[in-house]
Amino acid sequence: MAPAVPAVEARGLFRRFGAVQALAGLTFQVERGELYGLIGPDGAGKTTAIRAVAGLLDPDQGEARVLGLDPLRDPAVRERLGLMPQQYSLYRDLTVAENLQFFARLSALPRPVFRERAERLLGITRLAPFTARRADQLSGGMYKKLALACALLHQPEVLLLDEPTNGVDPVSRRELWALLHEFVEGGMAVVISTPYMDEAERCHRVGLVHHGRLLLEGAPERLLAAARVEGLPRPTFEELFIREIEGAAA
Amino acid sequence: MSLASARRQLGAVFRKEVRQTVRDRRVMFLLVVAPLIQTVVFGAAVDFDVDRVPTVVVDHDQSDVSREHARRLLADGTLLRAGDFPGAEAAEHELDDGRAAAALLLPRGLAADLAAGRPAEVQLLLDGTDPNRAATAGAAASRYFGEVGERLARQRLEAAGRPAPAQVVVTPRVFFNPRLKTAPYIVPGIAGTLLVIVTTLVTAMGLAREREMGTLEQVMVTPIRPLWLLLGKLLPYLVVGSFDVLLLIGVGTWAFGVPIRGSLLVLAAVMLVYLVSTLSIGLLISTVSQTQQQAFLGGFLFMMPAILLSGVMTPIAAMPPWLQYLTILNPVRHFAEVMRAVLLRGAGFGDVWFQLACLAVLGVGILGVAASRFRTQLA
Repeated sequence: MAPAVPAVEARGLFRRFGAVQALAGLTFQVERGELYGLIGPDGAGKTTAIRAVAGLLDPDQGEARVLGLDPLRDPAVRERLGLMPQQYSLYRDLTVAENLQFFARLSALPRPVFRERAERLLGITRLAPFTARRADQLSGGMYKKLALACALLHQPEVLLLDEPTNGVDPVSRRELWALLHEFVEGGMAVVISTPYMDEAERCHRVGLVHHGRLLLEGAPERLLAAARVEGLPRPTFEELFIREIEGAAA
Repeated sequence: MSLASARRQLGAVFRKEVRQTVRDRRVMFLLVVAPLIQTVVFGAAVDFDVDRVPTVVVDHDQSDVSREHARRLLADGTLLRAGDFPGAEAAEHELDDGRAAAALLLPRGLAADLAAGRPAEVQLLLDGTDPNRAATAGAAASRYFGEVGERLARQRLEAAGRPAPAQVVVTPRVFFNPRLKTAPYIVPGIAGTLLVIVTTLVTAMGLAREREMGTLEQVMVTPIRPLWLLLGKLLPYLVVGSFDVLLLIGVGTWAFGVPIRGSLLVLAAVMLVYLVSTLSIGLLISTVSQTQQQAFLGGFLFMMPAILLSGVMTPIAAMPPWLQYLTILNPVRHFAEVMRAVLLRGAGFGDVWFQLACLAVLGVGILGVAASRFRTQLA
């Protein structure tokens, strides 16, 4: 395995939608076994960045690489990438089991492999008692866990999550983060976007996105230490980011 | 991706589509029950035979002769007596109000003129709103009085001891639909139009729904190729559409006396290529639509001209030449032609190969365009 190739690489991504400059030179890099957080307010460009990395969107300028491959033009990427979009992305009129089966077949998983993985994923997401329930009858948290399970069936090396904890109760949120840490320890590279500053501290490294580019990047601990002012208590992430965003606006 | 994997992916999409369709009662109704009801209703309602045109009579002559001519003209069924009026003004009023579509004006002195061998003028007022009805009513009156004039001329010649002039008599012999019934002609066409509506809309909405619901993105990050995805969305409706064709032919035969003179193999072939073309058009429409609403409107934008320019309602030979060439791109035209040819005339592959070839080229070509559009759209 070539050690030099990062799991995810975004180099100077630009993308405009009409009058809106969604991405304005966004650059970041994620290694295997790393949990990277794209943190930023609504409309910062987080979703556009994730879609560009997933190969669902062609940037006007710059390029995205997943495991050294072009996600737009190399179909091989799709066998090694998992995506959990922000909005509903599963078939609401199909059951939990039918959704899992459908996405497993699209990834061409052999049946015994699917059975074993589905059982394991249903177990850790605690969805096993609800396999016959339709997706539109799941709670918000259960739905997100099912979406995560669908994105993990083919055991991707890179997992992209777009605001996975949005609208999820605190208990399910904690469970979701615990799951993510488990996968990352297994060597998976995870990119997660979130508008919640308290979640930033659970990432190995974060990038603060604002107006389509990074304002700040680094390990949460180090960013907070650097922002500390003598004689004052350590700032929270929220304070740090609001200060940065206001500084950028000024 | 190996072929086995592709087959697995295709099977997954197929199975998913079937599940979603079967679970949605409204879609099932649209697919199966609606075409059945419409065939029965339209087959019974659409009738090009013009008869019983409501006609008012204004008899200024008030003679036995004028009364007899009015009675005979109105006796053959094309015109139906809708009342008698003393003057032309009252009759025109009936036309204005739509209570009558024709008014027969018999002039004063008609009987005396005819007896004396003088020319007479009978007036017919026609409501031209429906040109077909007006022409048929006018023709019926012209034919009747033409025969009257001819008979009178012959009687006068014979009375004068001179031989009657030679006559040319046309003896029509009608093939394929000897009683000139509308239903056997129109039902195959109606089947074609109903099928294009159902199949185009269902696939046009299908992909747009996935885009709208957000499921398309999740599918597109999996390794499935666009062509397999589109085929998986097309095949279930090919099955449903084929079932509809059999249903409609059955109803046509049983309820409307549509004969099945040709080979079922030709029917199966035309059904297959026709459905592939209409389903592919739906897919193509869905690749340019962001929402189901757009797909629905796009579907109608295609279907209205496709139906009106198919030759089902009006003959293609009556269209301007450039438009006639354009209808070669219209799958409804080819389907209606083949259905009529096979059902009514017993045509075989040799007679309809051109239509079958057009449909096959259209179907495969449009599916290819849809797949490539779909691919570039995501890139």
